[in-house]
Amino acid sequence: MKPLHLLLCIAIPAAAAEPVTFLRDVAPILNKVGCTSGPCHGAAKGKNGFKLSLRGYDPEFNYQALLYDLAGRRFNRADPSQSLMLAKPAQQVPHGGGLRIEPGSGYYQTIFNWIAQGVPYGDPTKDGIAKIEMQPASVELAKPDESQQIKVLAHFLDGATRDVTKEAVIASNIPDVAEVSNDAVVKGLRMGEATMLVRYEGKFGTVPVTVLNPKPGFAWKALPQNNYIDQLIDSKLKRLKIQPTAAADDATFLRRVTEDLTGQAPTPAEVRAFVASPNRPALIDNLLARKTYVDHFTLKWGDLLQNSRKFLGDKATWEFREWLRDSVASNKHYDLFVRELLTARGSTNDNPAANYFRATRDAKPTMEKTTQLFLGVRMVCTQCHDHPFERWTQNQYYEMTSFFSTVGIRPGFESGEEILFDKRDDFDVHHPKDDRVMKPKFLVGSGTALPDDANRRQAFAEWITSKENPFFAKSMANRLWSYFLGKGIIDPVDDIRASNPPTNEPLLDALTKDFKDHDYDLKHLIRTIVSSRVYQAGIQTNEWSATDNINFSHAIPRRLNAEQLMDALTQATGVRPDFPEVPADTRAEEFPDPHVGKDGFLDLFGRPQRETPAEGERKTDLSLPQALNLVNGKSISDSIGGPNGRIAKAMIAGATDKGLIEELYLATLSRVPSPGELDKGITYLRGGDTRAARAQDLLWALLNSKAFLYNR
Amino acid sequence: MRALILAACAVTVAACVVQGAEAPGFTRDVRPILQRQCQGCHQPSSKSGNLDLTTFEGLMKGGSRGPALPLIVKYLKGEAQPRMPLGGAALPNDQIEAIAAWIAAGGKNDSVATPADTISAEHPPTYAQPPVISALAFSPDGATLAVSGYREILLHKADGRGLVTRLVGLSERLNSIVFSADGKLLVTAGGTPARFGELQVWDTATAKLVRSVMLTNDTLFGGAISPDGKVLSAGGADNTVRLVETATGKELQKIGNHENWVLSTVFGVDGKRVVSVSKDRAAKLTDAASGGFLENVNLLRGELTSVVRHPNKDIVVMGGDERVPYIYMMDRPKVMKTADDSTLVRKLPRQEGLITSLAWSPDGKRIAVAGIAPQVNIYDADTGQAVASCKGHTAGIYALAFTPDSARLATGGFDGHVRICNATTGEVVQDFIPVPVAQVTK
Repeated sequence: MKPLHLLLCIAIPAAAAEPVTFLRDVAPILNKVGCTSGPCHGAAKGKNGFKLSLRGYDPEFNYQALLYDLAGRRFNRADPSQSLMLAKPAQQVPHGGGLRIEPGSGYYQTIFNWIAQGVPYGDPTKDGIAKIEMQPASVELAKPDESQQIKVLAHFLDGATRDVTKEAVIASNIPDVAEVSNDAVVKGLRMGEATMLVRYEGKFGTVPVTVLNPKPGFAWKALPQNNYIDQLIDSKLKRLKIQPTAAADDATFLRRVTEDLTGQAPTPAEVRAFVASPNRPALIDNLLARKTYVDHFTLKWGDLLQNSRKFLGDKATWEFREWLRDSVASNKHYDLFVRELLTARGSTNDNPAANYFRATRDAKPTMEKTTQLFLGVRMVCTQCHDHPFERWTQNQYYEMTSFFSTVGIRPGFESGEEILFDKRDDFDVHHPKDDRVMKPKFLVGSGTALPDDANRRQAFAEWITSKENPFFAKSMANRLWSYFLGKGIIDPVDDIRASNPPTNEPLLDALTKDFKDHDYDLKHLIRTIVSSRVYQAGIQTNEWSATDNINFSHAIPRRLNAEQLMDALTQATGVRPDFPEVPADTRAEEFPDPHVGKDGFLDLFGRPQRETPAEGERKTDLSLPQALNLVNGKSISDSIGGPNGRIAKAMIAGATDKGLIEELYLATLSRVPSPGELDKGITYLRGGDTRAARAQDLLWALLNSKAFLYNR
Repeated sequence: MRALILAACAVTVAACVVQGAEAPGFTRDVRPILQRQCQGCHQPSSKSGNLDLTTFEGLMKGGSRGPALPLIVKYLKGEAQPRMPLGGAALPNDQIEAIAAWIAAGGKNDSVATPADTISAEHPPTYAQPPVISALAFSPDGATLAVSGYREILLHKADGRGLVTRLVGLSERLNSIVFSADGKLLVTAGGTPARFGELQVWDTATAKLVRSVMLTNDTLFGGAISPDGKVLSAGGADNTVRLVETATGKELQKIGNHENWVLSTVFGVDGKRVVSVSKDRAAKLTDAASGGFLENVNLLRGELTSVVRHPNKDIVVMGGDERVPYIYMMDRPKVMKTADDSTLVRKLPRQEGLITSLAWSPDGKRIAVAGIAPQVNIYDADTGQAVASCKGHTAGIYALAFTPDSARLATGGFDGHVRICNATTGEVVQDFIPVPVAQVTK
């Protein structure tokens, strides 16, 4: 933008006022009163012939639109007060957006003065903002209904400071814990924690708010602490006066940890053995060494890395799966794993890691996938505009993309084979706005420019896996945590941003540090998490924790995912459904991709189609069609009544009533029935009809119970 | 009592405020509420519920639910649904009560005439700053340069060495100026933003306004005169193209083929067809006699702001947000394939800024392109080669005009200066501010 110093040579009466610039004074008003909002002129097509950039992310564009559109129609130099830019928002002429600026108000006067002074843009190196500061930096309210004023200060690049509380946009991320008024007064509504998200002219900040509660009668009852996780959770719970739930009983723990580490339910024999001699650390080590552990985490990686024959073809899908299995089985440290993926080259037959680039293929989606997967950062918004809730800019989108623009893919010699190579030319990434070539530049850190002859992917892989990278270890630690606790400390796990703060920052920091200190050893971190009392806690709540669902004061029941559920059904009924694409003894957890058993039970229960790298593509809610399938579905009834099934075998073996019922409970809920359950079961079995049909009814009822469907 | 108050109003506003403390009045109590709370939707250009609340007459006339009095109160109270303002907070009780009280007292219009217009031919506008120049035109005899001002057209000597006459009218903005082929008439398209659009027809010999045609609720853009001088065209912010009979001011056609503001129009060589370009990205060819849509001249790309025609061929050049001027033949095959662009004659180079104005020299040889970058580029119309650039501007340019001999080019824009440059070398030969700028002191 060329500075506009025209017009100013002429004496203007109102110009005696303070100098006003677009950048420093006017743009914030347009954002505050809503001109640039999505439903108004910030819409992609603008409104009624007038378009501004969304939430003012591009002040230069807005300035040009205001000034130059339609031959400067919005200004009246002969009579500034008649300018459309004042008359419209002041509703002095009909304005579809209604009254936005009171005539005569401070905002009105500022815009008037700006027009009268010749609409100067301002100097981005002076009128730009260095940072915003909030006072106080954090808020603690002793009880609900208490309030606290927040003050927002803008520090300009020329050193000036201004109170911009009125213009800043402040929102609460959990408005039913603490709400914030238009004039930045925070009010607690119920006990808990919330974060105020503050936005001012492209700068972001947060103010953590804790609403405490006197909670008369609360007395902290200390529970055993297994490791630092328990200490950090307890320290927060104690402050919030939430009493955590103690560790669950052995059978519950066994089922939970076996499902979480191996995707399988324990067998009746395993339940009996563990309950008789419960050694939790030994069990964890044992599970981590199983083949089913490898299958379970290969499945997760297959989802995230979009291993599917839709993208890779038959052969490569199996080979990529083998590569993932080897990586999990050898506990390949996470940094090496990522480095191998990102720098893979050559034939996809010889180096299956190269398949990483085949699902997305183009530089832009590959960059988006990579940042979301390994940094938890979503860049997709910034393809078209600066991120509305983060500091990421459109420039950064293309700078980051250019790390991947050198990746070339060409057909190989064999059917389905492709060759990954580094292009030597024709890889420039252009900015869509002005076509300039964007050089590769890291999202954070490393201020040094990349040498022109550097291998971009190599440099990127080094940057991303570096221990200095503020997102790499953190996002993985957070992701792993979510696998075991049902929810990330930052949630969703692949959407890390200032406006989505962690619920327990010290804990996430400690997990991250532990992960780095052990050189990205995934098994170490998993073992640490599942060893904690917090992980092992029961699902029961108490009067102090009933409303808590973010601080991990108790376990949260999680529906078994599609493959887990199918394998659990197989074990419970003793009948494996038939899939022609795979050998007969293959468990669902071992399937290479969503091509197997397509459109069947697995898809109904939320198996992801691997169309995206998002963790959220896998669904684990419980829907009506799913419930109907469980009640009436053919696969369920066929399995229960199968001639080689558990009940048929028990009948042939002549199982006693008690033995049969115990076995059914162990095979479904991984525990023995209570005496009451046993009595009722026996009564039912003896109630008439054929005994086998009655036993099938019992099994059916158990399979439809929450205790079976959920990991709890 | 009422007579007294009215009398007081006529004398002084202050008296009105003091005396009218208990009697509700339209001007003082009701209109401000309607203006602030209702006019966004109930205005002439949108007329939600077919109701216009910008005037007393509109309020009396009512909308599709019948007379607005006293129905309006029910809507405001939520007794009639949907409660108004639609989607907004309910009005404070005292405001609703004020309207109700005014209706109860008879619902009379107590507005006094708006203050007399202080600007006239005898009292032309005064300027503290040079206004943005949005239109320029040379008279066909090459003697006069017409420049847009605030509420006026300034007629200068064509060499820029003197102001001859000022044609003062009602429209604050004049978005285009064109002379008739015989030079006898000067036609402007413009208006006052968000209030009205106006076509002005001036007799150049007498400097009198022959005709004012008020159309639409916002300004008109891109006016043109048919080659025989009988029909005027202009585009509007209501997405229409209007065709008006020059001799009578009668509206011949209101053409609603566009989906966004229409910013420029031009007739074909025989005057039977009109090309209009719009923010909807389309250049539409319309039959002038019937108003019927013929075809799109272009493939849709960016928003279009300007279209001009070759002096004697049915070839047009258009440009806009995409920054690339496209030269198209007006006729496209009736059965077009997708992405058929065979009527594209040529693309000119991409400009540094959005294109705001185009001009085709009267000898047909040159095309000038202006935009929000402060430089005008002149191209050879036959080859697309750059000929010259006219530099020296400090901000965006909105108006271009070639002299009848095609030798020079006048430019004007945001900085308020008219510059005349040599159309072959680009050299600026004259630079002046077209309005008298007064030194204003408090």
